[in-house]
Amino acid sequence: MRTNYVINSGVRFSMFSQDQLEEMFWGVLHLLEYTGLDVMHDEAREILKGAGAWVEGKRVRLPSYLVKKSLQMAPRSFTLFARDGNPKHNIKIGPGRAHFGPGPTCTHFIDPETMERRPYTKADVPLVAKMVDALPNIDFCESLGTVGDVHYDLGALYEFAGMFPNTSKPIVAWSYDKFDSAGIHEIAVAEAGGQEAFEHRPNYVHYCEPLSPLVSTFEAIDKLIFAARHRIPLIFTPCPIAGGTAPITGAGIITQGAAESWMGLTLAQALQPGLPFFMGGVYSVMDMNTMILAYGAPELPLFMAGLTELAHYAGLPLWQTGGCTDSKTFDGQAMIEGSMSVFFSALTGGDLCHDVGYTESAMTGSLFQLCAMDEAIGYARRITRGIEVTDETLAVDVIKAVGPNGHYLKQPQTRKLFKTEFWYPNLIDRQDFESWDMSGRLTMKDRTIARVRDILATHRPSAVKPETHKVIEKVLEEAEDRVKDKK
Amino acid sequence: MSRIFERISTAVLEGDDEESASLVHKALDKGETAADILNEGLLVGMSEVGVRFKAGDMFVPEVLMSADAMQAGMRILRPLLVAGGVKLIGKVMLGTVEGDLHDIGKNLVGMMCEGVGFEVIDIGFDVSPADFVAAVKEHQPDIVGMSAMLTTTMRAMGHTIKALTEAGLRDKVKVIVGGAPVDAAFAKKIEADGYGSNAPAGSDLAKELVGAA
Amino acid sequence: MSDILETISTAVIEGDVDEMVDLTEDALDEGLSAQEILDNGLMAGMDYVGVEFKAGNMFVPEVLRSAKAMQTAMDILKPLLVESGAPMVGKVLLATVKGDLHDIGKNLVGMMCEGAGFEVKDIGKDIEPEAFVAAVKEFEPDVVGMSALLTTTMRMMGHTIKALEEAGLRDRVKVMIGGAPVTQAFADEIGADGYASNAATAADLAKTFVSAA
Repeated sequence: MRTNYVINSGVRFSMFSQDQLEEMFWGVLHLLEYTGLDVMHDEAREILKGAGAWVEGKRVRLPSYLVKKSLQMAPRSFTLFARDGNPKHNIKIGPGRAHFGPGPTCTHFIDPETMERRPYTKADVPLVAKMVDALPNIDFCESLGTVGDVHYDLGALYEFAGMFPNTSKPIVAWSYDKFDSAGIHEIAVAEAGGQEAFEHRPNYVHYCEPLSPLVSTFEAIDKLIFAARHRIPLIFTPCPIAGGTAPITGAGIITQGAAESWMGLTLAQALQPGLPFFMGGVYSVMDMNTMILAYGAPELPLFMAGLTELAHYAGLPLWQTGGCTDSKTFDGQAMIEGSMSVFFSALTGGDLCHDVGYTESAMTGSLFQLCAMDEAIGYARRITRGIEVTDETLAVDVIKAVGPNGHYLKQPQTRKLFKTEFWYPNLIDRQDFESWDMSGRLTMKDRTIARVRDILATHRPSAVKPETHKVIEKVLEEAEDRVKDKK
Repeated sequence: MSRIFERISTAVLEGDDEESASLVHKALDKGETAADILNEGLLVGMSEVGVRFKAGDMFVPEVLMSADAMQAGMRILRPLLVAGGVKLIGKVMLGTVEGDLHDIGKNLVGMMCEGVGFEVIDIGFDVSPADFVAAVKEHQPDIVGMSAMLTTTMRAMGHTIKALTEAGLRDKVKVIVGGAPVDAAFAKKIEADGYGSNAPAGSDLAKELVGAA
Repeated sequence: MSDILETISTAVIEGDVDEMVDLTEDALDEGLSAQEILDNGLMAGMDYVGVEFKAGNMFVPEVLRSAKAMQTAMDILKPLLVESGAPMVGKVLLATVKGDLHDIGKNLVGMMCEGAGFEVKDIGKDIEPEAFVAAVKEFEPDVVGMSALLTTTMRMMGHTIKALEEAGLRDRVKVMIGGAPVTQAFADEIGADGYASNAATAADLAKTFVSAA
């Protein structure tokens, strides 16, 4: 038996030393203790004050012990459940596990038939959910768009109503306000079989976004309070832009963004001790010429890697970002930016990596980008799975048996492991030239288009319960009623 | 079709050599002829293997297991076929050219050729043009298949064809070539009769050249 | 063009805030009118900045510095311009809509509009429709510019236009909108008069509104 044997089975990645992490951790706590945030919600300030925060006007400062206590209260390991009980669609959050999914709220969509950019509509939601359901390396669902063809207060609700029946993978839901949140929750709870059943097996995560720099906005906090009271796992994720709404330095943007998340954490844990909580965000740069928030910049995966390490050091799961691009179309830029960020995200083990399938700097959602990135994630996951070193895998006996100038194709070990030791692509081409030539010289883009259309035409997600359909209809009717007097 | 043939073809498809051999014995006990067992059992399985391999649904180690299962059946049937005067569709002779020690691809072609009903003679690797000539004289194959895995050894294919021409044997055989660096243009340049880009393509080509396709 | 005007326009381009007071005072001492300094010094510089920014040769922090330089000079010139009765190009009212606290883009539009000769009133961020209405009544702008950076807040632009309609003010102003998620199609949908994709085009758009009016 071996003793004191160290195993690195996967590819390891680390950026900061323990000293640096400690310095950043205490930097965040210092910021919260001495500068604090503006919390634009009266009730939230009262709750925070009751928990031990210092409140002056809108400004809320948090003593370090309170933040540390809140970090301790949040779990690092928990499960998000498939609504239909399919264990393959569950997401187990815990150290060393990276999961992937699309992002929300793009105004535009690449039409799957015409390939043209056009406004995102209600009819697109089920298509995205179906793709998510079918793609092997996509683990959770967001819609890749803001529904534009319904009343503009109801986009988020119609979005959830369209996603939920079309994938059993866990959904990450955003909303405009707590009315949306209530409607979304009613649908999810109906399928789960009641509030208590939902608390045991949560089938969606609620997403709220505070404002950088250093503001907890009314809507973000109002939704957070709703989610915490109903024990809905929560993502509280700012979108700081280096050089614009956050310091231009990597360490600076991470420190500020973490402080923004931890204000939400402290409030959430005060309301619901033990609530699963993801810190996170989209941390990138403001391009100083175009003024866009760059989704394909190398600083994005770099900042996100640093943030992931800080989150894990503090004991929280992270809402990661990757698989996105500033390119407007399916091209080399989209593949480079998307693949690099996906690989980097997989290396960090950031827990839920979103925005897979974003193009045009988050303005246009694309099923084609999503499908191609599914392939990139598969590729990245094979690398991060690493190399196992055991007596069996060293294969000294097998090498001896084959000897000089033999071959391994017929070895029992080859036969046993060839499907699991290697990753087999779905889209990437490895044919010889003649076969490729004969089969029509299809490019990556051609094959991706074919796969997307094939999945949309053939994939059938598992159905929701009939009573859930009724609840969806009821929730939408009530919502239409609520807004009918607004333009 | 008899249930037993279906089971034999399934055993080949699944690469189960023990099952294949025992089913062939069983079929003979039931009074089926060796030719029927070959054509309706083993070859049906191998042809499905070829289809699935080309479609990307089967992988090389699985094809080799199927070929093993096929051969396990053939070991029993071959003496009976010979005794019964049943002719195989043709004779293929295979070798990797001089200077090249790679033979996985060539072996695979051999198995696929046996799978489609050829008698296969494998003369090994690093075979000089003179040895090719001697072997053709000895075995009198219908088809000579040459393999080369390296850009540095593929030119030996040209030398070998030249040697066959000089020995007056070129017209008596069809020459097919294959291997990673080889393509149809190169085959044409050295005046081979055909090129196969992978093992099933090689066996299809062989069938075509003997008029059995 | 006189040397001093050229120096002023260069100082604007280079964002030389510290020099602006001295340069502007010098120009006035030389007997140049406030209008001449504005048109041929400051605005000449800002025009160049706009062109270079659009071409990708200047970056946002540099544009902001240029705008700051322009404003520094304007603080001196504005009372003189009012005194002389020289009309500004028009009045622009700017704000970020309710729920949205982003104002970098809006501030940039304000600076570019001032650079283009508008009187600009910036009423801030997170502005409710009712507050927009009150500000339009008080300030009587020619153009109302609304900004939203979030897909979740852009719908407030629709609410605001509706509030202007209900207050009977919609016909008295042109409404232009902008911000990352906003598009021409969205502007059409909510009944805005125009959309600008960046600060420089916003100023151009405002100019077309007042020249058409």
